[in-house]
Amino acid sequence: MPTTRRTVLKAMAGVGLAAATRPLASYGASGGQTLKIGILAPRSGVAGTVGECGLRAALWAKDRANASGGILGRPVELVVEEETNPKDTIQRLNKLVLQDKVDCVQGIVSSGVSLAMGPAAEDMKALTLFWDGTTQDGTEESMPHARYVFKSTDNECEAVMASLLAIKYWRGKFATVAGVNPDYTYGRNNWAAFQALLKRFGVEHKVVAELWPKVGGLDLSSHVAALKAAKPDLVFSSMLFADLPIFMKQAHAAGLFETTKFAFPAAGWQHTALKNDFTPEGMIFGHNTLYFAYPNASPLQKEFVKHYWDAYKDYPNWEAERAFFAFAAYKSAVEKAGKAKGGAFPDKEAIIDTLEGIEVESLGGKARFRKDHVADQIFYQGFTVHDPRYDFAILGNVEVRSAEKLQKPSGVTFKDWIANGKIEI
Amino acid sequence: MTSFLDILLGGVFHAAVLFLVAAGLQLVFGVQKIINLACGSFYALGAYTGISAVTWALAHGLPRGLFLFALIGAGLGLAVIGPPVEALLRTVYRRDEAFQLLLTFALVLIIEDILRMIWGANPQELGNLYMDYGTVGKGALTVPTYNLLVIAAALLVAIGLGLFLKRTRFGRLLRATAEDRETSATLGIEVGRVYTVVFTLGTVLGTLGGALVVPTAAASLDMSVDLVVEAFAVVVIGGLGSIRGAVVGALTVGLMRAFAVSFVPEMEMLSIYLVVIAVLIFRPAGLFGKAAA
Repeated sequence: MPTTRRTVLKAMAGVGLAAATRPLASYGASGGQTLKIGILAPRSGVAGTVGECGLRAALWAKDRANASGGILGRPVELVVEEETNPKDTIQRLNKLVLQDKVDCVQGIVSSGVSLAMGPAAEDMKALTLFWDGTTQDGTEESMPHARYVFKSTDNECEAVMASLLAIKYWRGKFATVAGVNPDYTYGRNNWAAFQALLKRFGVEHKVVAELWPKVGGLDLSSHVAALKAAKPDLVFSSMLFADLPIFMKQAHAAGLFETTKFAFPAAGWQHTALKNDFTPEGMIFGHNTLYFAYPNASPLQKEFVKHYWDAYKDYPNWEAERAFFAFAAYKSAVEKAGKAKGGAFPDKEAIIDTLEGIEVESLGGKARFRKDHVADQIFYQGFTVHDPRYDFAILGNVEVRSAEKLQKPSGVTFKDWIANGKIEI
Repeated sequence: MTSFLDILLGGVFHAAVLFLVAAGLQLVFGVQKIINLACGSFYALGAYTGISAVTWALAHGLPRGLFLFALIGAGLGLAVIGPPVEALLRTVYRRDEAFQLLLTFALVLIIEDILRMIWGANPQELGNLYMDYGTVGKGALTVPTYNLLVIAAALLVAIGLGLFLKRTRFGRLLRATAEDRETSATLGIEVGRVYTVVFTLGTVLGTLGGALVVPTAAASLDMSVDLVVEAFAVVVIGGLGSIRGAVVGALTVGLMRAFAVSFVPEMEMLSIYLVVIAVLIFRPAGLFGKAAA
């Protein structure tokens, strides 16, 4: 058959269509009926390093599972798509579920995306385990009765812990406070949590600045100048993307660290970028659910941190722990539900029933999903020190708290819990 | 008073960055009548190349204090991309503005993917290198010396461009071409060559700006789009095609933003676009632009 222009165009269109519907990456398994897990994680932009870290942990978890026979005898394959804006990410969720026919979806870092994607996943009855980005809006639960979606710990956990540490160690040492938080739901929730706790514990204070830099904005000189002008005794910031090291650099250059205390509950996402040159000692620094250098770490964490260093010459942040937990919880639920069925592969509803209340060993310690589909994990924060073994700031003394003491219980609103709940400093 | 100066300097620094991008945009539009959406991409290219140049130079023995020269070298060296890109744009000089916008927007996407291919998706930065130059000032008012160097560089570019356009023979040729391309060609001016030089100059303003600013911030894939939006606000306020307008527009945007962040943070972006809307209503050609015939 002669090759005509039309044939070539058809072939090109076919190749284009195939390329357009192909997943970003597929990390396979060999042989047998595979169990497909769809991963949605940011691979570029300001959250790119974070998504990459989570993906690496998911790959490690997948390789470990496959090395020991897969999940209930089925080899595991990861189908990876990119998390970008809410609209496009929901389209990729559709693709993972309808086209790739994945058994479970895991991932999501941004609360901006999870807020939109959570209801979409519920509508599609797609079993989804969020790594991060709890689906809340203004501290109010936006999916109180989720069936198919399992959520990470509340966004405010790290803010609550940092606030409690600030009250515990700095009460009476600050009178004016300023907030510089990313301008989206996460930043606003955390700032609200900090102020609510100061009020709950009767800490007299005056807010002298509330700044809302755009997420990922790389010129923060105006914000640093505004902070300097406001002269706060304490700055609370839940900045956590690639803009955080820039803020620290510019704040250091402006001499802000000489007079001000800093509480940064989510700085651990950028820990290796926060160099000793421009990150002060003595700031409250949150590593969330994984502190890579925790002296009392479990053998599992030590094995993972060693693998991470050997493979990538880097130290993991908490997104690795979130990704590992999602994978481990799903694996454990499938195996338990399968065992209950005499070894047969369980259906989705049975897996969900088993996930509710499940507890597994994760990288940062014991972690579980509550009956209401919210995770309970262990949080690590402390005060920064400069250690000659690292060119970035690490923790001196490490404070460890369970999310059970940092987030609202099931059925209670955040405001009620802050006002009347059992909260210990 | 110290606080006021802090905010003022923060605003002027941001204005300097915006001017370096907007000046290239203005120059190219002023002479070639092309709205170059890719001006922010040249800035990003300069930032990434600047980081690589400094890293390479320091690894090969350049004293840390001389890193500024590696940045300038990177920014100027990227002049090589000016002529081929201008050659590509020749295909749309006489076509509808929509084609020009589409082509330059395609360049934005192409350059972003090139950056992703070479440097990866994650933001790149130079650590605290710029603090090697120390700070200026005393007590509460201290400013990084490097920030003042960036402001000075923008000032030099503004003065240099002004003198170049007004006092040199080539500057007069540029202005003549800007006024009337056909008559200039009839009088023997090599319009094609003028266009190549102007576009290359516009490109270098962007790449040099990106290289100079990156030590104080970082380079990321989305920086070009973020910056070009603000650069257009500068251009609308100052008037399309006017270098003087770029100076005034950049200062307006930079200072409005700095003071809004300090006093009404919720209006950080709104304040800028209120000015843009006011200019569009009351002086559509911008403060220094020429009204369309």
